[in-house]
Amino acid sequence: MRLQNYGFRNFVGCGFGILLPMSGPVCLLHCRKMVGLSLGEKHFIKGGIDQNIRSDGRKRDYYRPIFVETGVIPQANGSARVRMGATEVIASVKAELGKPSALHPDKGKVVIFVDCSAVAEPTFEGRGGEELSAELSVALERCLLGGTSGAGAGIDLTSLIVAEGKICWDLYIDSLVISSDGNLLDALGASIKAALANTAIPKVNISAAASADEQPEVDISDEEFLQFDTSAVPVIITLTQVGRHYIVDATSEEESHMSSAVSISVNRKGHVCGLTKRGGEGLDPSVVSDMISVAQHLSELLMSRLDSEISAAEAEIGDDEES
Amino acid sequence: MEFVNPEGLRLDGRRPMEMRQLRAEIGAVARADGSAVFEMGNTKVIAAVYGPREVQNKSQQSNDQALVRCEYTMANFSTGDRKRKPKGDRRSTEISLVIRQTMEACILTHLMPRSQIDIYVQVLQADGGTRSACINAATLALADAGIPMRDLVTSCSSGYLNSTPLLDLNYLEDSAGGPDVTVGFLPKLDRVTLLQMDAKLPVDIVENVMQLAIEGCKAIATYIREVLLENTKQLEYRRGL
Repeated sequence: MRLQNYGFRNFVGCGFGILLPMSGPVCLLHCRKMVGLSLGEKHFIKGGIDQNIRSDGRKRDYYRPIFVETGVIPQANGSARVRMGATEVIASVKAELGKPSALHPDKGKVVIFVDCSAVAEPTFEGRGGEELSAELSVALERCLLGGTSGAGAGIDLTSLIVAEGKICWDLYIDSLVISSDGNLLDALGASIKAALANTAIPKVNISAAASADEQPEVDISDEEFLQFDTSAVPVIITLTQVGRHYIVDATSEEESHMSSAVSISVNRKGHVCGLTKRGGEGLDPSVVSDMISVAQHLSELLMSRLDSEISAAEAEIGDDEES
Repeated sequence: MEFVNPEGLRLDGRRPMEMRQLRAEIGAVARADGSAVFEMGNTKVIAAVYGPREVQNKSQQSNDQALVRCEYTMANFSTGDRKRKPKGDRRSTEISLVIRQTMEACILTHLMPRSQIDIYVQVLQADGGTRSACINAATLALADAGIPMRDLVTSCSSGYLNSTPLLDLNYLEDSAGGPDVTVGFLPKLDRVTLLQMDAKLPVDIVENVMQLAIEGCKAIATYIREVLLENTKQLEYRRGL
């Protein structure tokens, strides 16, 4: 089987789930998923990474093919499905009217919830996936929502306010992991960005005459919508260290013997919005700053890739509606 | 409220004996042994099968047949109002049990002793008939995994509103308070494996409504067979046969 070089430029958008060619390493994955990797396989993966060739032919800084589809959940305000290689996640955004907190009367609220479905991994059955779900939810909130005061958030919370101190929009962002083959955080970050780009918040008309204590009457418009502004939403890049080098977009077999991983979220301006380090092995501080600069460089490519994918997906919906 | 207007059309424009549009896709989850996505109108369900594999809990191991386990979960965003708890509530537990019993009856479990087959069903969009869509998706996923079965299990629901038997209820018709009959059927063997009904129905109408659901099941079985045939042709083509 020919191994294809999946770079940013040779992106192959597969429209249907069945037709990704079963190359050698993926077959290995099928038999091996319940048992660990053998010593020979570990050396193979590590040696390959040292020489800048990974099991599926990619270089260390290449992403797998990314496929974005928006508007997959009709009853949500916005939704998206993102596939990075074999990792597939769905994100949906629902907006409900609520009351802003007393500490921040001029800001709306955003809640991010990740659910790892048992469909992706048998170990996620019952409560098995709770720990990973909680870890991913918190990491996403840290990257996208800024500090406790709400300052520096990727999602502009002040745009969610309807009536200061009384009514605001609550955004519930729910993600579901359908298929897991490594690099969940990046896929989730991309899906949330795409879902927010697809989100349309209905316009609210408030009746003007209301005293300071009363709840004003609201009239939620069915026709007019405001498209959510996602220019400040960051992307998340996870760099996994295996041996002496780090790779981007690790598959689950590469993640299984990483020494540590750092997830960095970078926004359009190249500013770092959040940082998470996973894995017990210690990292030299110079390595961390090197990782940050690598992530900043990669984020430009990923951001432009995602933007073009998202606008292509949105345009497709527009075509479908017209035809 | 009028569910069947004087011209004989339902709320979504279907005729009383008309089913919603079916769509199936095999192999959606790469890591699973078998997987499928099944859509009935706006209801969308994904099923994944892992197995036969070693039993995780040795106390449940059986020496003469395979252990079949099933979990049904609904995504947070699947219903109109956001669900707080994706799994563990009573309805999910009951539906997991129902699907498990239905699939266990048709899998040839005696061929795989001391092993375990896990069926995971995830509802992505719920618009009535989730139980049926899950059983249909599970059948496709089991076939994709190559697990030996007696027959394809298909399922369909029917109801009785405005004095008309209706096939394949959507959410609005389901929550109307009329009866909702869910049937699980083995088409080749011509046997009913699952039969559930709620609300009230006059005795002389029961047979009619049930027969309508069985007809629906047979139609779904024809569609599933086509999908599996197409999938096999694709596999042959990719292997260069």
